[in-house]
Amino acid sequence: MILKPLIENWQLLLEGTVMVIKLFLTTIVFSLPLGLPIALGANSRIYPIRLLCQGYVWIFRGTPLLMQMFFFYFFIPINIGVAPSLFSTIAFTFVLNYAAYFAEIYRGGINSIDRGQFEAAHSLGLTKWQTTRDIVLPQTMKAILPSIFNEVITLVKDTALAQTLGMMELMKVTYGIVNRTSMTTIFLYTAIIYLLLNLIITLVAGKLEAHFSRYDAKEEF
Amino acid sequence: MILSAINNYSSEQVNRNIAESDSDKILEMRGIVKKYGDFTALKGVDFSVKKREIVTIIGPSGSGKSTLLRCVNGLTEPTKGEVLLNGRTSMVFQHFNLFPHMTCLENITYAPVKVLKWPREQVVENARKLLEMVNLSDKADAYPAQISGGQKQRVAIARSLAMKPDLMLFDEPTSALDPEIIGSVLNVMKELAKEHMTMVVVTHEMSFARDVSDRTVFMADGKILEEGKPEEIFSNPKTDRLKAFLSSF
Repeated sequence: MILKPLIENWQLLLEGTVMVIKLFLTTIVFSLPLGLPIALGANSRIYPIRLLCQGYVWIFRGTPLLMQMFFFYFFIPINIGVAPSLFSTIAFTFVLNYAAYFAEIYRGGINSIDRGQFEAAHSLGLTKWQTTRDIVLPQTMKAILPSIFNEVITLVKDTALAQTLGMMELMKVTYGIVNRTSMTTIFLYTAIIYLLLNLIITLVAGKLEAHFSRYDAKEEF
Repeated sequence: MILSAINNYSSEQVNRNIAESDSDKILEMRGIVKKYGDFTALKGVDFSVKKREIVTIIGPSGSGKSTLLRCVNGLTEPTKGEVLLNGRTSMVFQHFNLFPHMTCLENITYAPVKVLKWPREQVVENARKLLEMVNLSDKADAYPAQISGGQKQRVAIARSLAMKPDLMLFDEPTSALDPEIIGSVLNVMKELAKEHMTMVVVTHEMSFARDVSDRTVFMADGKILEEGKPEEIFSNPKTDRLKAFLSSF
């Protein structure tokens, strides 16, 4: 019976899925905000700040996430002398890596805002922070949401990389079941779980896009 | 009616740093030079505006009119020269530059509430009066994308007025508008002029300059070539450049 592998292993799959969600949420919660100062810094007029932020993006986009994970896994205990938990190390790496991608998406969005918006804000006496927070970012949201959610969906799948350091996430669990039972149909159920997770994200994306498009042209004349 | 709408705050007036006894000048610019690389947009311009004065700046494209205006409120930093400003300025742009993610009412109330920290209820009440003044009461909750260009510019004027500026700067406010709706914007500006709002208007609308302004300034090649009462400028131009410019209309 095709449901047999699922019925016998659902608890393991659930544990793996919970791990995926944990890593996913931790990464999102920290990397989405962290990307913003990096984006603003990469646009800064102050050269050292710009260099620092552009360098950050260069390094974290320019090397494999997998390699970064190994780097921090060995680097932190050996050189700093503390041994964070496996989850902390992996989540830390994911946050730093994804912040670089989000920063570039933010930067592109900010640069797409019409110069007149900055001029109007300036002539009304808005501070730089007010301009960024209340004028630029809300307008940027609409433009960058599709790219953001592209990365978010990639993130769900990237959690599978955590198995290489031994984290019991969904892929690792799946391999384990297949090795133990030779029931390859379990791959099918794992695929369905990933698809369901990303379906939820796609639905959220649609809602958010509708929300940030509410001021779009609804021509009345 | 307009100024009463602007001035109906009973709350404290923001310190505008105008020394009444000192001078009735609101703006004084001396020896303004602006260079963009090798190109010199302004070649040493002296320009001043008195309180309640309505000044129009005319001249061919690239003569430095807009650059001069932008030096007033710091959108452009002069390469050389002095800008002395007594009070708050507020600018109306050629392309309106309304905030598209805010309703018309929010566009008007944002800066007085967030920048000047005036009480929200009063600001909203005043904003509704200003919308009424520009004949757009029914568009308070519309987003800029839902209204026409002429309506956008009237909202932009209301947004500027809500700041209770001492000096209004208009940078070609009708140049991006269709001919048939220019009138609606000019009418609002004429209303303001009647109430003697201090204004500097860069414009290609010669009849507006002639009918409304106290003084017209003609600029060409980064310099002020002529200035004076509009009657003189338009009926008795002295320089060939101005004659040629006026005959092109």
